[in-house]
Amino acid sequence: MIEIDGSEGEGGGQILRSALSLSIVTGQPFRIFNVRAMRPKPGLMRQHLTAVRAAAEISSAEVTGDEVGSRELMFRPGAVRAGDYAFHVGTAGSTTLVLQTVLPPLMAAASRSTVRVTGGTHNKASPPVDFLARAFLPLLGRMGPRVSLELVRFGFYPRGGGEIVASIDPAPLRRLDLPERGGRVRQQAEAYIAAIPMHVAERELEMVGRRLNWGADERHARGLSSDVGPGNALTLTVECEHVTEVFSGFAEKGVSAERVADHAIDEARAWLASEGAVGPHLADQLLLPMALAGAGSFTTSAITEHFRSQAAVIGTFLGTSIGIAAGSGSTQVRVEDRQRGGR
Amino acid sequence: MKTVVIGFLGSQLDSGGTQARWERWRPTVSLCQHEDLVVDRLELLHARPHQKLAEALVLDIATVSPETTVNLHLVDPRDPWDFQDVYGRLHDFARGYAFDVDRERYLMHITTGTHVAQICMFLLTEARYFPASLLQTAPPRRNDGDPKGSYAIIDLDLSRYDQLAARFARETQDSTSFLKSGIATRNGAFNRTIDEIERVAVRSRSPVLLIGPTGAGKSQLAKRIYELKKARHQVKGEFVEVNCATLRGDSAMSTLFGHTRGAFTGAQVARAGLLRTADGGIVFLDEIGELGADEQAMLLRAIEEKRFFPMGSDKEVRSDFQLIAGTNRDLRDDVRAGRFRDDLLARIDHWTFRLPALRERPEDIEPNVDYELARYAEQVGENVRFNAEARRAFLRFATSNEAVWAGNFRELSACVARMATLAEGGRITESTVASEVERLKSAWHGSATDGLERVLDAERLAQIDPFDRVQLAAVVDACRRSNSMAAAGRRLFAVSRAQRTAINDSDRLRKYLARFGLDWASVVGSGVREP
Repeated sequence: MIEIDGSEGEGGGQILRSALSLSIVTGQPFRIFNVRAMRPKPGLMRQHLTAVRAAAEISSAEVTGDEVGSRELMFRPGAVRAGDYAFHVGTAGSTTLVLQTVLPPLMAAASRSTVRVTGGTHNKASPPVDFLARAFLPLLGRMGPRVSLELVRFGFYPRGGGEIVASIDPAPLRRLDLPERGGRVRQQAEAYIAAIPMHVAERELEMVGRRLNWGADERHARGLSSDVGPGNALTLTVECEHVTEVFSGFAEKGVSAERVADHAIDEARAWLASEGAVGPHLADQLLLPMALAGAGSFTTSAITEHFRSQAAVIGTFLGTSIGIAAGSGSTQVRVEDRQRGGR
Repeated sequence: MKTVVIGFLGSQLDSGGTQARWERWRPTVSLCQHEDLVVDRLELLHARPHQKLAEALVLDIATVSPETTVNLHLVDPRDPWDFQDVYGRLHDFARGYAFDVDRERYLMHITTGTHVAQICMFLLTEARYFPASLLQTAPPRRNDGDPKGSYAIIDLDLSRYDQLAARFARETQDSTSFLKSGIATRNGAFNRTIDEIERVAVRSRSPVLLIGPTGAGKSQLAKRIYELKKARHQVKGEFVEVNCATLRGDSAMSTLFGHTRGAFTGAQVARAGLLRTADGGIVFLDEIGELGADEQAMLLRAIEEKRFFPMGSDKEVRSDFQLIAGTNRDLRDDVRAGRFRDDLLARIDHWTFRLPALRERPEDIEPNVDYELARYAEQVGENVRFNAEARRAFLRFATSNEAVWAGNFRELSACVARMATLAEGGRITESTVASEVERLKSAWHGSATDGLERVLDAERLAQIDPFDRVQLAAVVDACRRSNSMAAAGRRLFAVSRAQRTAINDSDRLRKYLARFGLDWASVVGSGVREP
């Protein structure tokens, strides 16, 4: 059985979710211990449990230690079953992280699946729906599986209550190489706002205009029905010839509109200033399907600790070799299956 | 293990209709928003006027916590501030609820509801009608946009909290040490007895019976029990102490139970009596075996019904006192001899503690010597200490078989006080100790004899006050010089004989001797009779 030390590296939750995906895809059971050992509230939290239970449901897995606060979890998957699934995430937890967990197995399943997830759709510390829909899923489509994602209802912290529906058409994964992003095609800033004064959105977009020099026709305030509120998020979408990137900032009470905008703008500027095809978040996301495809490459604006933890888990399950080479304007990542890499 | 929360809807704190409610701390909703707490089921109690709010909460909780099933319970007290009503309804709820403690853990959410409801939930949880821990929720410390705040689970099984347990242990130690007057006694049996007395003193108002020889510290201990209870706010009334051997005739009744004005000759003013004075407090009746038959009957009624008739009164008075009784002998013998009521004994030996004689606690002599020296220093204002050698010599004698300690701690106390008084320059020397040892030996073994040791054993003698001893010795001496009880009576009561017309001298003498457990035969059986 594969053993994973949950205290190593960063992103305890991310290690767990990747392990769940990889375990189902490869049919290998695993045990993770020291789950989030160094955190103030150590062990499994509710959002992690939701991911564990979703993963168990699609693969009829046998699970022990799936309790809040548990430092150790054992997961023994069965065969993945395609189907129509609905998962509910409490505490306005991220719907996208749950989807991300079940996506790799379901896109390797025998037939089409739909996955409905309720909870938060635009949360801090997780990819917003716009990011998956515009940046990640199109790239995944180029590797084979076609996944469409519909945002039925927005869900903001702390209320949640959002809903997303994904349709997954399985297909074998093909190699993808992304050496460069290509020329910029278009860009737009969107400030979503619900049951919060409109000037908050206007101030965020004003910052985008000032710091990114985006025109008025590229900046849109998107007022939402107040019954999904209160909530506010800013997304910046940059569409290039080969890659679309999405950066985001989320409102919190006590944080000014300007600082929310700065967060998204800083991330966008860092990527725009580099020559990397993808930004750090998209790099994290691409690694797993590329490893499952057996080969692939891309350039990125930055490598994070998060990325290295992700690479380590993938190596544990797949034996894939992930090469990182720092270049002048970007860092190149090469994924090779070790067996095939020996050719 | 599923987690089940039981709590009242907070008609104020949980309310809110607009979207802004999501930015506010709402205890019942917020407790379902914690990342590290899954509420599998919420039993939400609410009153009829809050039905709508309760239903709205069900929807809001479903949004933030799809894991949670919410059951609404209509608990509709006529007056949510009426303690008895609320307690009754909660009690009914608890009794009707199918608790499954093997599969579910229960948390009583006490943050919402009226204060009355919170207190009732606490009481019912503490009494284990709710087999639950308490769940306390609190708003966020700063208004930082995260409305869920914090929560704390409090298990009333305090033994699980080391710090609290340590605090209790310390407090218990403090109070047992208090009962021992701060003397670090080493005798295991005695310390166990004191531990028990401490627990009983703190928890019970039933009568306590202290059995032990004279000077073993019964009276001191009774007073300490009272002070301990007073410190814990368990008594409001006074501490009243009386030695029953000093109570005789009419005055005995009146001393204990009081009298009305004119109840008997000389009763010119009404008197409350000790038992009434001790209402809400403690009465210590030492030598309870000496109590007369009438007084025993009245006392029994006073203990059982907390009511009695003062002398001369046809109106009962009430007094709720705790009784501590002392005795130096086995009251069961008195019951068999018909001198003591068995129903009274049954009532007062609810808690019986035997205080050992000093001779049975040799290891406690040293700490008591130190205590007496400290007490002397406090009273006289002069610090007195033993020479090392003198101390060894004294302790060697005091703990030896030679040392009878017939007067127990009272005698030890007097002995230390004598040595301290004789100490030169605050030092008790070997020669002081040597002469004190001689004094003690002669007291116990009777070198300078008054003849009483021939008719009474050492233990009996030790229980006789010097005041009485002088008289008794003279009486015994007179008996021995007489041919008959009547002759002795004539001799002893010569003056009153001359003043009064008819008097039964023999009977008076017999009663006097009986007080010391003596009769004519035992007094004259030894020694020389005057022709």
